[in-house]
Amino acid sequence: MPRLFGMHLPAVSQSSRKLHFSVYGKNNSKVSDGMSTQYPVVDHEFDAVVVGAGGAGLRAAFGLSEAGFNTACVTKLFPTRSHTVAAQGGINAALGNMEGDDWRWHFYDTVKGSDWLGDQDAIHYMTEQAPHAVVELENFGMPFSRTEDGKIYQRAFGGQSLKFGKGGQAHRCCCVADRTGHSLLHTLYGRSLRYDTSYFVEYFALDLLMEDGECKGVIALCMEDGSIHRFRSKNTVIATGGYGRTYFSCTSAHTSTGDGNAMVTRAGLPCQDLEFVQFHPTGIYGAGCLITEGCRGEGGILINSEGERFMERYAPNAKDLASRDVVSRSITIEIREGRGCGPEKDHAYLQLHHLPPQQLATRLPGISETAMIFAGVDVTKEPIPVLPTVHYNMGGIPTNYRGQVITHTTEEGDKVVPGLFACGEAACASVHGANRLGANSLLDLVVFGRACAHTIADICTPGEKLSPLKPNAGEESVANLDKLRFADGNMRTSEIRVNMQKTMQNHAAVFRTGKVLKEGCDKMDAIYQTLDDIKTFDRGIVWNTDLVETLELQNLMLNAVQTINSAEQRQESRGAHSREDFKDRMDELDYAKPLAGQVRKPIEEHWRKHTLSTVDPKTGKVTLKYRPVIDNSLDAEDCAAIPPAIRSY
Amino acid sequence: MARHSKLQKQVLSLFRQFLRAGQDKPGFLPRIRDEFRENSSIKKTDVMHIEYLYRRGQRQLDQLKDVNTKQLGTFSKPKVER
Repeated sequence: MPRLFGMHLPAVSQSSRKLHFSVYGKNNSKVSDGMSTQYPVVDHEFDAVVVGAGGAGLRAAFGLSEAGFNTACVTKLFPTRSHTVAAQGGINAALGNMEGDDWRWHFYDTVKGSDWLGDQDAIHYMTEQAPHAVVELENFGMPFSRTEDGKIYQRAFGGQSLKFGKGGQAHRCCCVADRTGHSLLHTLYGRSLRYDTSYFVEYFALDLLMEDGECKGVIALCMEDGSIHRFRSKNTVIATGGYGRTYFSCTSAHTSTGDGNAMVTRAGLPCQDLEFVQFHPTGIYGAGCLITEGCRGEGGILINSEGERFMERYAPNAKDLASRDVVSRSITIEIREGRGCGPEKDHAYLQLHHLPPQQLATRLPGISETAMIFAGVDVTKEPIPVLPTVHYNMGGIPTNYRGQVITHTTEEGDKVVPGLFACGEAACASVHGANRLGANSLLDLVVFGRACAHTIADICTPGEKLSPLKPNAGEESVANLDKLRFADGNMRTSEIRVNMQKTMQNHAAVFRTGKVLKEGCDKMDAIYQTLDDIKTFDRGIVWNTDLVETLELQNLMLNAVQTINSAEQRQESRGAHSREDFKDRMDELDYAKPLAGQVRKPIEEHWRKHTLSTVDPKTGKVTLKYRPVIDNSLDAEDCAAIPPAIRSY
Repeated sequence: MARHSKLQKQVLSLFRQFLRAGQDKPGFLPRIRDEFRENSSIKKTDVMHIEYLYRRGQRQLDQLKDVNTKQLGTFSKPKVER
């Protein structure tokens, strides 16, 4: 019997469930003696583990390696295949290359864009760090588009203004033609190779290893050989992206399945503001592929069947560059009132042929090709058919401005969950609040990816001893995996998935009504129950994509039920969540009228608060709590917080 | 006695490297032996399969040699008759 040096975990442990953990060989357990199914589990120990290798994940991973931490990056996709690569628009930063600019104006725009649901300390942090983050990217070698004098080219983008909204359109979106996300991800990937992060590519993270309310690591499935891996570490960073695939028509990749949100939900922690789903105004009609807001920034306009530039009526000042939720609603209203384009009058047109062809070729080459491939349209001659499509999830795992995951109780307020961090689209810091401005997401990725690395460097030192972990930690995840691998019900994964997607698309779209949402909640609950009746076909363990898709479906379902239930409960219209039966925003004071003499409503009676949702994974029942918005910036003298006001463009 | 072919020598060398690497980490040696024993029944002529397992084994060996890999355990479940 070999001596066990420095082992934290005892050899054998029995639990009340069906799986039994032991160190291999101790009970004469052989590979396959026909008496039991075996899942070999390799244990790893690191100082920090990052789940996800998109923009935020890579930035956090190499930020940690740079600070001297022994870091592992666990990802189900090769880093350059993460969905960040599809981002087109750009990164906002108040560099002031096109005209004078100040990050405090960017701060105002973001707070207003979030419809005052964003936490102003996090927004302060992000907008103040923005110029530094963009310069850092440029130093990493990101090939930004340039102006004549060699400075970074900044284009106009939705919702960006000068002088706190009074100085006209701001040009602060730094871009790389129309493939900024592609460039960003490849730059970050190239930079990350300089550091000694251990990459575990094509490892599907199943669950967090939680003990006593503390996160002690992650358990993952190696897709290549079917082995289970437990990554023990003191710090876990979740950067798994959004969950666009809960909807039938979205701009997201098939891999955007909200795995991080689901892992956190199964750990019993809440997710925040999931009802706020952004519908990007210009997704190609039919295919759902994205046409960047940068088109409108370069001068493109939206027109209806009468050839009218209808945005002038809905947003007299910003017109086509109003905030995304405003534009999406405007397009939907035009279609509903019968001025839609095409034979079925069900979409709008984005016109670019009035712009000079060389500008289209230099600044927008990617979308010219996308429009040709997916819509058969030559952008120099014809307009592109577009429709609002699900694009981004403002909600996610609640964190503070430093990237630490928090829970909330009414008695103690916000409480940090030790050992757990989140950044990127998976997190909700919340910088985007009820609606995200274009080009703020790529900024969010790099700023908060770096912030997580800094926070971990502040509170921990590399090489710290790990706290003990139960020997059978992660057993429920493996039991679930085993159950799905041998599932023999009646409904296929694809059937259940399509049911969920169609229900979400029909019941929780751009405009929402109480009755339709309630119907959707009941349908989603029924679809959730059908997960017990699922049937999978591949019984193997090597490259079992049927199993992985089923795990992804479980994750999507948890996200979908929280989204639709939170939407049904929120009885107001704010940002991207607009209710036909509750058309106004309900704040603590009525900001449409003079404030003098008004009585402040208590938090139970207004809706300027974050939703915190939890789910019981066995029954699919959603419980909702609420948490107040953080209204103070990090430094009141340097940058005053913006009090709420009526939001119009 | 027939000499080992090149591929057989490579597999044996891999096996030796695995045994050396797995010495100080609990749980690996029995599994290494079991895996190699089980796969020894593959026909000598099935080169594609052997090379695939060899490449996979090299990747797994790199992971085993990594200082952060600590032990191999197993979750097992008695097979239920269906």
